[in-house]
Amino acid sequence: MIRFFLLSIMLVSNSIFSILEIEILKGSDNLSKIAFVPFGIEDGVEEDYGEQISQNIEKNMLLFGEFENLDKNEMLSYPSSEDDFFYRDWKVLGVDYSVIGRVNSVNALGNLNISYSLFNINRRIKILEGEIVGGEDNIEDISKIISNRIYEQITGLRGIFDTKLAYVINSDVDTYQICISDIDGKNEQILFTSKSPIMSPDWSPDRKKIAYVSFENGLAEIFIQDLKSGDRDSIQALGMTNSAPVWSPDGKSLALVVSFSGNPDIFLYSISNKRLIRLTNHYGIDTEPSWSPDSKKIIFTSDRSGSPQLYEINTKSKRKKRLTRDGNYNARGRYFPDGKSIFFVHGNDGNFQIAIKKLSSRYIETLTSTSLDESPTISPNGNIIIYATKDGSNGYLGGITLDGKARFSLPVKNGSVREPAWSPLIN
Amino acid sequence: MNRVITSFNTFFLIVLFLSLIFSIFSLPKLNIDEEQSIRVNFYELIQDDNQLFNSSIPDIGIKKETKNLSSNNKEQKVVETAIISKFKINKIDIKNEISKIKLSKEREDILRVSAIIQERISSVWIKPNSLSESLIAKVLINLAPSGEILDFDLIEPSSNNFFNESILTAMNKMTFFEEVLSLDRKLFEKNFRNFNLVFKSSGEIE
Repeated sequence: MIRFFLLSIMLVSNSIFSILEIEILKGSDNLSKIAFVPFGIEDGVEEDYGEQISQNIEKNMLLFGEFENLDKNEMLSYPSSEDDFFYRDWKVLGVDYSVIGRVNSVNALGNLNISYSLFNINRRIKILEGEIVGGEDNIEDISKIISNRIYEQITGLRGIFDTKLAYVINSDVDTYQICISDIDGKNEQILFTSKSPIMSPDWSPDRKKIAYVSFENGLAEIFIQDLKSGDRDSIQALGMTNSAPVWSPDGKSLALVVSFSGNPDIFLYSISNKRLIRLTNHYGIDTEPSWSPDSKKIIFTSDRSGSPQLYEINTKSKRKKRLTRDGNYNARGRYFPDGKSIFFVHGNDGNFQIAIKKLSSRYIETLTSTSLDESPTISPNGNIIIYATKDGSNGYLGGITLDGKARFSLPVKNGSVREPAWSPLIN
Repeated sequence: MNRVITSFNTFFLIVLFLSLIFSIFSLPKLNIDEEQSIRVNFYELIQDDNQLFNSSIPDIGIKKETKNLSSNNKEQKVVETAIISKFKINKIDIKNEISKIKLSKEREDILRVSAIIQERISSVWIKPNSLSESLIAKVLINLAPSGEILDFDLIEPSSNNFFNESILTAMNKMTFFEEVLSLDRKLFEKNFRNFNLVFKSSGEIE
């Protein structure tokens, strides 16, 4: 009787409290499909602007392969306002999001008022709307601002379409150029040309200066160049050679490598008072420093264990910690913007690939499948890594999103492209 | 003469009645000769066999699947008695086994349909990048017996709004889980009328 009673309680409690739970861990490999509808225009505005803005936004959003688009010819309608927008027209085409907009004239000076909306088709809701006023000459910049907002609304990550890239081009055997361009390769600007190697460009946090290494005087020397004026200054730190400069997050100092009598170590260099502070002092080679986002630690490469491995050092206590143990080559480490993970070049059996590692985990994961990858740089939103790689003897820039869904290569330049450095966001 | 016939009829009816009663209550006699065998499919029965023969009967070379009876009549009787008594016990075992089979079939059906639902949701869920965050969100689904999703509710959202939005977007892509049509109605009501989908992001690149 007691047993029966207990069983009854179990069955009742089972039927009342337990419910089937199905775990969903894996997401789809598909990309979100976006319809970029040509923007409508007000009477008196050049028709081209509506088309131009939607095309610019489309190009930006597709730049890193994170989304797919709906061909304009497949669209059933070209709505430019919410009143003309019908979800079923897009649902039937398998669209996830639709971008519509309208260009209105503000005044005779050529100022335009551009309104835009983003719809989530599956949820049948408008998730973004906004307006921008700008000149006809600024269509590209306006498109980037709208693209950033759309990107942020869909992914939850900061938009990066107004960021820039610095890189080194080696066009001839003895011609080196340090360049910057928009992230889509447009508006390339040559900062400095030399017959000697140029290396290791790095952006100041305010995006106004670039530090890099030049061998123009025979030895490795660090220069800081102002982007607006073009002025260049050698920091003239002590030691035989100075290399691998990296700006601190507050922009007040550089972490760099100084070699006294042939032994490279990591130092901090205060830009205002030109003082050097030694961080490492080891007979092995310590190089390639990089700051943690909170400025408290610096990651660097050292061969003190017999092979190149990554270490981090606390800038105050100078306590060191080895970060990598897998394989006999782990170098050029950088922190993710959240400071919880690192990415670096991992060498294995003659292949050099970009790898990532969570600092709380023992395991590393290789991201790329090419074999001669180097100099990885991460987007300020932490979602994309661009790196230099090789096709034969030609160097080009490849990229990958962290979820691994999209791989891309940036437009080919005249010559081998190396050492990319992604600019910070403009705050 | 009539009385004789009536008495005969009465006797005949009594005999018929007795034989009927006898046939109902008598146990069937189990004869197993050297050529016959009983398939013992259940693990529990095999265990019982071992216990039975190990404890009360000397080793007569009984195998798990085939029981060869010895030529010795006395031993044969013992074995028969043992097997018959064992069959009495195993009626209960067989019932248990049948309910176990039924349960395991139900379990198989639940797992099969759950796996299909899991796969279908995964194929439409565009998971946002959340490298550094471990997130969990739970959705309660209410299904019609036809498989139509009558309602769903994000009963336990995660702390990340974009993770929650991605789940709601994926759920809005689904209208039917027609796989439940293949289920027994009771099984459907018990397990799939209302069930939870637990969306997880491990915080690692996947």
